[in-house]
Amino acid sequence: MKKWQVAVVLCLAAIGSWFGLTTHAQAAEYTIATDTTFAPFEFQVKGGQYKGIDIDLLKAIAKKEHFTYQLKALSFNAAVQQLSANQVDGVIAGMNITPAREVTFDFSKPYYTSGVVMAVAKGSTVKNFNDLKGKTVALKTGTAGAAYGKSIQSKYGFKIKYFNDSNTMYNDVKVGNSSACFEDYPVMSYGIKNGIPLTIISKQHNAGDYGFAVKKGKNAALLKKFNAGLAAIKADGTYQKIINKYLHAKESKITGETASSRTFFGLFSQNLGTLGKGLWMTIELTVISIILATLLGLILGVLGVMPGKLGPAVSSTIIYIFRGMPLMVLAFFIYIGIPDLIGHGFKIPAFIAGMITLMLNEGAYTGAFVKGGFQAVDKGQMEAARSLGLPYWKAMRRVVMPQGIRIMIPSFINQFIITLKDTSILSVIGIVELTQTGTLIIARNFEGFKIWLMIAIIYLIMITLLTWLSNWVQRRIN
Amino acid sequence: MADTALKVHVQDLHKSYGETEVLKGLNLDIKNNEVVCMIGPSGSGKSTFLRCLTDLEVPSKGQVVINGYDLSDPKTNIDLVRENIGMVFQHFNLFPNMNVLQNITLAPVQLKKLTPAAADKTARDLLDQVGLADKATALPTALSGGQQQRVAIARALAMHPKIMLFDEPTSALDPEMVGDVLDVMKQLARDGMTMIVVTHEMGFAKEVADRVVFMADGLIRESGAPKDIFEHPQNPRLQDFLNKVINV
Ligand SMILES: Nc1ncnc2c1ncn2[C@@H]1O[C@H](COP(=O)(O)OP(=O)(O)OP(=O)(O)O)[C@@H](O)[C@H]1O
Ligand SMILES: [Mg+2]
Repeated sequence: MKKWQVAVVLCLAAIGSWFGLTTHAQAAEYTIATDTTFAPFEFQVKGGQYKGIDIDLLKAIAKKEHFTYQLKALSFNAAVQQLSANQVDGVIAGMNITPAREVTFDFSKPYYTSGVVMAVAKGSTVKNFNDLKGKTVALKTGTAGAAYGKSIQSKYGFKIKYFNDSNTMYNDVKVGNSSACFEDYPVMSYGIKNGIPLTIISKQHNAGDYGFAVKKGKNAALLKKFNAGLAAIKADGTYQKIINKYLHAKESKITGETASSRTFFGLFSQNLGTLGKGLWMTIELTVISIILATLLGLILGVLGVMPGKLGPAVSSTIIYIFRGMPLMVLAFFIYIGIPDLIGHGFKIPAFIAGMITLMLNEGAYTGAFVKGGFQAVDKGQMEAARSLGLPYWKAMRRVVMPQGIRIMIPSFINQFIITLKDTSILSVIGIVELTQTGTLIIARNFEGFKIWLMIAIIYLIMITLLTWLSNWVQRRIN
Repeated sequence: MADTALKVHVQDLHKSYGETEVLKGLNLDIKNNEVVCMIGPSGSGKSTFLRCLTDLEVPSKGQVVINGYDLSDPKTNIDLVRENIGMVFQHFNLFPNMNVLQNITLAPVQLKKLTPAAADKTARDLLDQVGLADKATALPTALSGGQQQRVAIARALAMHPKIMLFDEPTSALDPEMVGDVLDVMKQLARDGMTMIVVTHEMGFAKEVADRVVFMADGLIRESGAPKDIFEHPQNPRLQDFLNKVINV
């Protein structure tokens, strides 16, 4: 009794302090979203900072124009969706100015012009567009490369496979699942310079302009400042310096890494801080979600076995909805859908959205087995307790629940492990937990195998520890 | 109504599960200090009848008044009614998550009938009375069936009920355990407890009952002093039933 009260208080305190932190962080004038894995325009470097052409341009422009902003690194898709849902004030993410986008967004003056190239694996038999017939082409959603690929698809007769980040796309080409990819020239060429084993085999097509975007009719002042700042840094040479720095440099120069640190342990010690942060976020999410989901699950379970029709009906409806919905859909719905629906600039911090997502989903699963556990307690127990004169809730709490919960312990342990693993899905709404940390590290150093191995080992260690802890608790209870 | 001698008044009691009518209009009055044994073939509705007396089953029709409380009156607080009725089940239904003492003290303490210390004392006295003084801290799973049933009786007695209902208290027991439980019940009867006992123990019924009630097919077919019921049964179904039971 005492212990769970302590848990609830701790949990509320954690949520409270988190709200405190976010409101504090939002003291900046603007929130500007960017992509996470689009080197050299934006990518994460050691210690979790973001660098790249977009990042540096924005910084220089803000300095010139004296405005402050908070940078929010999301996937390109999430950034664009958030802009249209009014969750952020602007997006700078190597975003092409297209007529379609101009319907919903206002763009700055172009700050960079680039074209799309086709890249294939080294030694590939594909030499030009004609060789693509019947093959699969990898595209990154929302990019100019994707638009170009789609536009020539029927002409050259290839299949299309979409990805959410560049590295997974490159990798698909590298291992041969896809035969080619279309990518912006500076991005592709930067990647190749930094070790991606692909070659560019076409000239630049469909040259397009990159622009900074705000939601149509909103933030005109910000747009004006951006344009003025852009003109100013072009005039004083800062602009060219930034472009040169990224287009003609190796990633190691920018991030300060050395070749000798590319071994497994070298990479590990180098990224220790970043991995630690991601790990901590995963743990935080897991612990808070487990507590909330368990509370919700207990409530749903108790409702589910309540006498009368209403309680069980409410319980099974909630369980049905949230167990049936894929976690990712639920996360998007809460993070992007609900603010969209409410409007008025309503925002949900990603962490809170992630927590609610896990609470509802894992809580529904928990509710189902809690209900089953209570039902598995012999009916005679409730009857005996009631026959002594104990009211329903007292009988439930003193007699049925303790026995039911004992039956449920293995299911709880299982659910805790699933919750831990499910936190990784929340990377889609931009929460930088362990999995997203991996994506970000690989985005700059392209060491997919070693980093994913590292992350897999960390998850296994956590799950082992969690299992030991649970088994210890289980032994104590029995 | 509290000081009339009637402990139980059942009138035209019906109970149906869906289409099937299990109780078909029972009438029964039980006086203070009376011990009534109910016998009858399996499925005749004896358990259902007992459960209707404590609202574990809700009658489809008819009236049940117990200890002066009318169960069909919506103002009646059923928890209060149950505090004054001791119920003993065929399968004991002890709480396996509590030891013997905790099983007995749970209700008196939770319902603020007794302080924890007083409840503890009462529980130990009751355990002494049922011959299990040394089992106070044992878990139910560590007890034999006969011992568990005696704990269940002690648990019911801890609430100082005004009437005790027993639903085949010995039929889940190994034969050598039956005697101990019946001895406890006989002592209760001698102490003046009002009791309704559904049983297949004809010897017990003959020896202890003030009245024996025979049920078949949802109706009371015959009722009377043990001597009359066992030596001069009138109803052919009772004659048939007794033949079967005695010739087993
Ligand atoms: N919940 C229920 N739903 C449907 N039918 C039921 C239910 N409970 C009991 N019955 C039926 O009611 C009839 C009477 O059952 P009851 O348990 O009262 O008989 P009994 O006289 O106690 O029998 P036994 O000696 O076997 O304990 C049986 O036919 C039984 O199948
Ligand atoms: Mg029965």
